[in-house]
Amino acid sequence: MIRNLRELWQYRALLWNLTQRELKARYRGSALGFLWTFVNPLLLMAVYGLVFGIIQRSNIPHYTYFIFVGLLPWLWFSTSVGSGASTISDRRDLLTKVRFPAQVLPTTVVATNLVNYLLSLPLMVGLGGLVGIWPDVHALAFPVVLLVQLVFTLGVTFVISALNVRFRDLQHIVANVLTLWFFVTPVLYVPNAVPEPYRRLYLIANPMAVITTSYQGIFYEHRWPHPRGLAVVALGSVVLLAIAARVFERRREEFAELV
Amino acid sequence: MSTTNAIVLTGVSKSFRKSTIRREHTTLKSELVRWLKRQKRPEAPSSIIPALRNVSLSVPRGRTFGLVGRNGSGKSTLLKLVTGIYTPTSGTVEVHGRISALLELGAGFHPDFSGRENIFVNGIILGMSRREIRGRMEEIIEFSELGDFIDEPVRTYSSGMYARLAFAVATHVDPEILLIDEILSVGDEHFGRKSAAKMEEFRKAGKTILLVTHDLGTLQRRCDQAAWLDAGELKVSGNPVDVVAAYRAAVAEAEVAGLEQHVPRAAVPVQPRSGPPAEPGRRWGSFAAELSGVEIRGRDGPQHVFSADAPFRLLARYRRYGAVEAPQLELSLRTDGGTLVWSTTEKLPDSEAATLTLEMPRLGLGDGNYLVDLSLGNAGGAVYDVHRGLHGFAVRAQDSSGLLAPVHRWSIEPTAG
Repeated sequence: MIRNLRELWQYRALLWNLTQRELKARYRGSALGFLWTFVNPLLLMAVYGLVFGIIQRSNIPHYTYFIFVGLLPWLWFSTSVGSGASTISDRRDLLTKVRFPAQVLPTTVVATNLVNYLLSLPLMVGLGGLVGIWPDVHALAFPVVLLVQLVFTLGVTFVISALNVRFRDLQHIVANVLTLWFFVTPVLYVPNAVPEPYRRLYLIANPMAVITTSYQGIFYEHRWPHPRGLAVVALGSVVLLAIAARVFERRREEFAELV
Repeated sequence: MSTTNAIVLTGVSKSFRKSTIRREHTTLKSELVRWLKRQKRPEAPSSIIPALRNVSLSVPRGRTFGLVGRNGSGKSTLLKLVTGIYTPTSGTVEVHGRISALLELGAGFHPDFSGRENIFVNGIILGMSRREIRGRMEEIIEFSELGDFIDEPVRTYSSGMYARLAFAVATHVDPEILLIDEILSVGDEHFGRKSAAKMEEFRKAGKTILLVTHDLGTLQRRCDQAAWLDAGELKVSGNPVDVVAAYRAAVAEAEVAGLEQHVPRAAVPVQPRSGPPAEPGRRWGSFAAELSGVEIRGRDGPQHVFSADAPFRLLARYRRYGAVEAPQLELSLRTDGGTLVWSTTEKLPDSEAATLTLEMPRLGLGDGNYLVDLSLGNAGGAVYDVHRGLHGFAVRAQDSSGLLAPVHRWSIEPTAG
């Protein structure tokens, strides 16, 4: 894993340039340009707010803001994994012609979506301000949660993108699994809504549930993230990333030959 | 000591799985179905395809090394092994020095971005640092001769402009070892010359160059050493002139074999009565008499590639089965383009069988591929056995062109002016 990360560091210029380019490419030639960063989550929020806040009448106060806090990091995760799945298998042009560490490609996807997430944070804060919830001292824990999610997202994206080189239908499976995953992650509801006997299992089995509730704790409830839960997820994420790095190490040659 | 060599390959073999080459990918679904049915993976050892077999090669530091071979002979695989994109199945690849590979122009170019922006990503991919790129930016733009187009999106470029930009970036990487895969022919003639000059500059600067090319002229002019790969094996390695000669001879041989690919050469059996099966357009007749065992020979035996001055012989067996009246053999020599070069008719004896030999002490033909057509019949219009396009040979003469190579002599005497 160390070698894997060191290579990433060596190629940070490439990573940075590809990320920049990815961001620019996303908005180049579109009328709204950069504003698309906000439009997509806002629309989603509006849809969910309408369905669950007004039609289903959720009793969570400031429901739309609550959704937004959990939705943004979820979008970072799901978009990274979803579009990261095919990132290696699609870049035949690069992998078969130039020698460079393949892990740059999934990392670029994760980094691009991270930037998107960070850019939409001011919008979230503004929205909270509208309902009178401003970030307080608990925001100090934000970088920690962010880092945990980064490691977890990188790990998942690495594994999926590496496996997708051999199993090309994985990307379609992943797309469906992500939809399911979204609904078992407490973005639209609070974990307490899960029946008691399953609640523990629910939080243990789904790292994104722990991460999401941590964000909601920081920005919505003004409390510190559950330290033990977060530590477990952090540890698990590091292990996952280490495994992913090994998978990359082993399959490196296969990439050039198989893509 | 390995330090005198920039690249050393020792007993390198590389094989690919057939499924890899056909780009067949497993799916989770099919794996799952197989697992449920408890079947084994259908992976026979025969599905391994060797691309390189036991190749040993060393490229001395500061030299230009050329690699020739037909398509699919393993040249590109070898370059990719040196680059590190592939790793050898067995054997070792050692590279001493910073390497830059021009395997494909414009790796990582994004059509929506300007030339200038693409120089950055492409340069980084090729191994330059941001600072290096910034420092050489103007130089690269100037070399590409794109002018104001440099700030336009790459998708608006013509293919020539695209190639020029890509080549400009690639040659400004400043590597110690440069790998080039037949890309010197990009762009127009002017740019081609510029590229060649840039390569010459690399050579003079003492860089090691490994070049894959089909252009034998380039190979002879620019390379200090050369090697010829055929079907993954190293055939000849050494002086470019020798390598090119060996390669030329083999290609000519292959061309002739291509001309005659339908011939069961020397194997047309002598069958009483029925005769050999007719091949529409290539062999036909009543087969009341038959020509068999047609063979083209040089001085020492069967030969298919001749020099203009070489002796030439054609052998055939004649046999009569039915009623044949005043048989005669017409022989025509054509170029592979169809132009008749020479035709002659010879009367045959009234015997059961005969051996026929045509001898030419000096062939006297120019560079090209030729076909010998034989027609066994008689003046009355009977057709017994016609061979068309079945027998061929090639002439390789580098110092002249045209159909004929007559015996000639120059005498040039200086006179007082």
